[in-house]
Amino acid sequence: MDHLQRYQEIIPEYDVFLSFLDRPLPTSVRINTLKTDISSLLDRLDRSSIAYTCLNWYPLGLRLGIERPGKMIEHILGYIHIQEEVSMVPPIVLDPKPGERILDLCAAPGSKTTHISQMMDNRGLVIANEPSLARITSLRSNCERLGAVNVAITRYDGRRFPDQQFDRILVDAPCSSEGMARKDPEVLSRCSLKRSLDLLVLQKGLLKRAVQLTRPGGVVIYSTCTYAPEENEAVVGGVLGQFRDMVSLEKVSVPGLKECSGLSEWNGIEFGDDLKNCARYYPHQNDTGGFFVAKLVKK
Amino acid sequence: MSPSWSKSRNAFEPEDHSKIAYLWQKRFGIPVQAFANFCFYRRAQNVWVFSDAALPKLSYETVGLRMMNFKEDPWKPTSCAIQVFGRHATKNAVHLTSEQARIFFAGRSQVLKANVEAGYVVVSYTGVVLGCGLCSHGKLVSQLPRECRISSDAEMDI
Repeated sequence: MDHLQRYQEIIPEYDVFLSFLDRPLPTSVRINTLKTDISSLLDRLDRSSIAYTCLNWYPLGLRLGIERPGKMIEHILGYIHIQEEVSMVPPIVLDPKPGERILDLCAAPGSKTTHISQMMDNRGLVIANEPSLARITSLRSNCERLGAVNVAITRYDGRRFPDQQFDRILVDAPCSSEGMARKDPEVLSRCSLKRSLDLLVLQKGLLKRAVQLTRPGGVVIYSTCTYAPEENEAVVGGVLGQFRDMVSLEKVSVPGLKECSGLSEWNGIEFGDDLKNCARYYPHQNDTGGFFVAKLVKK
Repeated sequence: MSPSWSKSRNAFEPEDHSKIAYLWQKRFGIPVQAFANFCFYRRAQNVWVFSDAALPKLSYETVGLRMMNFKEDPWKPTSCAIQVFGRHATKNAVHLTSEQARIFFAGRSQVLKANVEAGYVVVSYTGVVLGCGLCSHGKLVSQLPRECRISSDAEMDI
């Protein structure tokens, strides 16, 4: 927890924020419309007497009153996917359309990849890139279980992904994962400023490559599950500086979900006012994990 | 002709659409139109099913879903492909009771009298396709991959 004190000035109601970290994360799932539909799935849950609440901000999201949804038939058959509620935001903001060419640059374990696939109704092309062979196993198994036919998996270092042009790219970057502390409190013991600064180099490389691979008029979403401005605004601001005339930042806001604006400065470093267009999601504002989302549009 | 980028040993080669659709029609009675918006690729002994989008020149680990393999005769469908296309099956499909479905989910074999040809079948329960089974000598052997099985009956509420 000590590590989080550096965010005392930027996180509103900091004491409430801390108190939420001790609460278990609600079990949330996404309904997979490649295999079922909302009413059929809810009928099944009703028949099995499984308690659920529909998310007020997203019709395909549910909170379940069950501890181990991984054992549910609905999960094994791929009707639902266990996914942290706020991690459904990046694909929603990416807004992929059926038939488009999409790149998910850091794809494993595939929660967002398969979300994108279902938003495209299994049409078009989703390249799911993941450099780690070990992590490709979970990515592939989720694609198979959920019936994602329009996903092809590649294994490049994302910073050197070969020349191609995509309509939309998601960079859900490797990060220090501070926002996952409700799920795994141990995660904070691995966080430090040095680690964030090391990750910043990788994250900038990934985002820079994504901008290069996006067609004019295309969209890049950059997201992390961490609070560290070094891994968020500093990355986006840095890449924006490199592509000043080619890229603009659009406001990220999902109706029904409370967010805080991105930071325009941190510890005396100016990122610029347009970084306020990014969204910061804190656990106590929506009873979720923590997240950061930025939307870059290529001119 | 194969595209130039598919020369490496492990590359995915485009596979004849009508040949694959015909095999599934012949075995399961699935109309070829069910595959109209998909294309097929082959790597070694496996055929993969993918959307009808053009594949850019990249090196791939997977392309869509692994659909079937030709390692043995007869060819074997994967459970994930059966789950996607099995609902169109008009033959070589079996429908289980809840007790039979439990045994199937546990990955075990069971005695089953069914009006099917020996070989791989589409297995369903209450109208929901569960996966691939193997029918032979009056028995149904579950072909569900290990990660799709539920070993403890107590944990299963079907």
